[in-house]
Amino acid sequence: MALTITCPICGKRNGYEFRYGGEEKGPRPDEKDLTPESWCDYVHMNKCVAGVQQEWWFHRDGCGSWFTIFRDTTTNLEKETPEAKE
Amino acid sequence: MFFKSKPMWGKKTKLKSSYDVVLIGGGLHSLATAYYLAKEHGITDVAIIEKNYIGYGGAGRNTAIVRANQRTQYNVPLYKEALDLWPVLTKELDYNLMFNNCGNLNLMHSEAAMNAARMNIATAQFHGVESHLIDAKEAKELVPALNISEDITFPIHGAMFHPPGGVVRHDAVVWGLAKGAAKMGVEIHQQTEATGISTKNGKVTAVITDKGIINTKQVLISAGGYSASLIHGFLGIKLPISVLTIQAMVTQPLKPILDHVVSSGAYHCYANQTLKGEIATGAHMDQWPNYTTLNTAHYIKHQAEALSEFLPALRGVRFMRIWGGLADMTPDMAPIMDGNEQVEGFFMDCGWGYFGFKSCSAVGRHMAGFMATNTCPDILKPFALKRYQEHKLMGETAALVNYTPDN
Repeated sequence: MALTITCPICGKRNGYEFRYGGEEKGPRPDEKDLTPESWCDYVHMNKCVAGVQQEWWFHRDGCGSWFTIFRDTTTNLEKETPEAKE
Repeated sequence: MFFKSKPMWGKKTKLKSSYDVVLIGGGLHSLATAYYLAKEHGITDVAIIEKNYIGYGGAGRNTAIVRANQRTQYNVPLYKEALDLWPVLTKELDYNLMFNNCGNLNLMHSEAAMNAARMNIATAQFHGVESHLIDAKEAKELVPALNISEDITFPIHGAMFHPPGGVVRHDAVVWGLAKGAAKMGVEIHQQTEATGISTKNGKVTAVITDKGIINTKQVLISAGGYSASLIHGFLGIKLPISVLTIQAMVTQPLKPILDHVVSSGAYHCYANQTLKGEIATGAHMDQWPNYTTLNTAHYIKHQAEALSEFLPALRGVRFMRIWGGLADMTPDMAPIMDGNEQVEGFFMDCGWGYFGFKSCSAVGRHMAGFMATNTCPDILKPFALKRYQEHKLMGETAALVNYTPDN
C-alpha cells in the first residue's frame, strides 16, 4: 500500500516527495516562563499514537509548502478529520 | 495454534486477580526480566501479559545480530554483559540458543568513517571488548565475496572488525527464557491485552486487561515498539520516541559464502548468512512514523542494489521472504529505562530502536534488580527519562541521523 499525501497546493502526490515534520504540538512555547520541562516537551516529546494523528509535512520535492494532515499511523492512510474511520 | 491446551513452556494457568509484579509485553525484555526476578530475587508471583503471542513483535522480527561495539561508555558495558550472557544462558536454560560468534565486520566507506571507527574501537578496547580497525585488503581476506574495487558507489576504505559478535537464534531465546521463567513459577498470559493502569495517590494499584483487573503494586511496560503508545495512553506520559517500521528480508538458500555479519552504514544495509544458507539482510527504516510493519517496493529495490554492489556474487539471487518490525527511535539512539519516577511502582524499558534484541539478557537482569530492590542499579542510571530535560543526551550517534525531524 503506497503512502500518498495531499498537498494544499499540488494535490495528492507520492509520499516520497515529502518529508515528515513531526506531530502537531501546538504553538511554540513562549520564552517568558519557559522551563526545561516545557521546552523538552515541545522539542522532544511525542504521543506516538497508534491511530489517527495530526502531523506536519513538508513538500520537499515540490512546492515547498509546510502543512498538517490527519493520518492513521496503523494503515498509512490519510484521513479527512481526526474521527474519520475506514 | 495459539489456543492449544498446553503451551510449550509449561501448563496454561488461569489469570489471577493479583500478582506481585505485572510485565506488559511478551517480548524478550519482559521474559528476561521475569526470568531474573525469579532466579536472582526469588520473586515468582509474576504475570507476563501479551496481546498476541510471545515473540510476536521485535523478538521474532529482528535479524538476530548481537554485538557490543557501540559508541559511548554507558552503552558498551551493557551490551558486553549481554554478549557474555549468551553462552551462560545456553547452559542455565539448558536450551540451545545457537549462539554463533562469527564476528561483525562493519564496512567504512570514507576516511571520516575510518576516523569515527577509530573512536568506537578505542571505546570498545577500553571496556575490554575486542574490536580492531582493518584495511580493505584485510576485509577482503575475511570475506572474499566483498567488492573492494573503486568503481562502486561507496568504495570500501576499511572496516571495524568485532570478532566476539555474531548471531543468536532469536526464537530460541524467546522459547528458552519462557521455559526457564515458567519453570520457576512465572505465568505467561497470551491473547491478553492490557488496556490501562490504575493509580491512586501517585502509586500503581492495578493493571486493567481485557480478561479482568489485576491488582499489583509494580508494573513494567516493555512492549518494544508499542511501549510509547501504551505509556502515553495509560498514564499520559509522553516520550521522546518516534516509532518507525524497519524492514528485513532473506534470499533463497545459498552454499556458504559469508562467514561474518557484514554491515555498511553508507549502503544502509547489513547481511549475514543463516545456518540454512539464506542471506538475512535489512536495515531500512521508513521515513515517517507508522505501525504498519509493511515492506515497500522502494526498499526491496534499494536492498538489491546495495547488496549487488558490495557483494556482487549475490547478483541474480532472489528474495524469498520479506517482513517488517517496529523500531522505537529516540533522539540520541539510546534507550529509556526508568522506574518509580513518574508514578511509584511504574517502570519502563523502551526506546531501544533496533538494539532491543542484542541487549535483552543484560537489561532483563538489571531491570529485575531495579524492580526487586526499588533501587536503580548504577549501570541503568544514565538511561533515565530526565536526561532529555537536562540536555544530557547520549552520544550514540556520531552525527545526527535524519530518521525523523526531531532527531
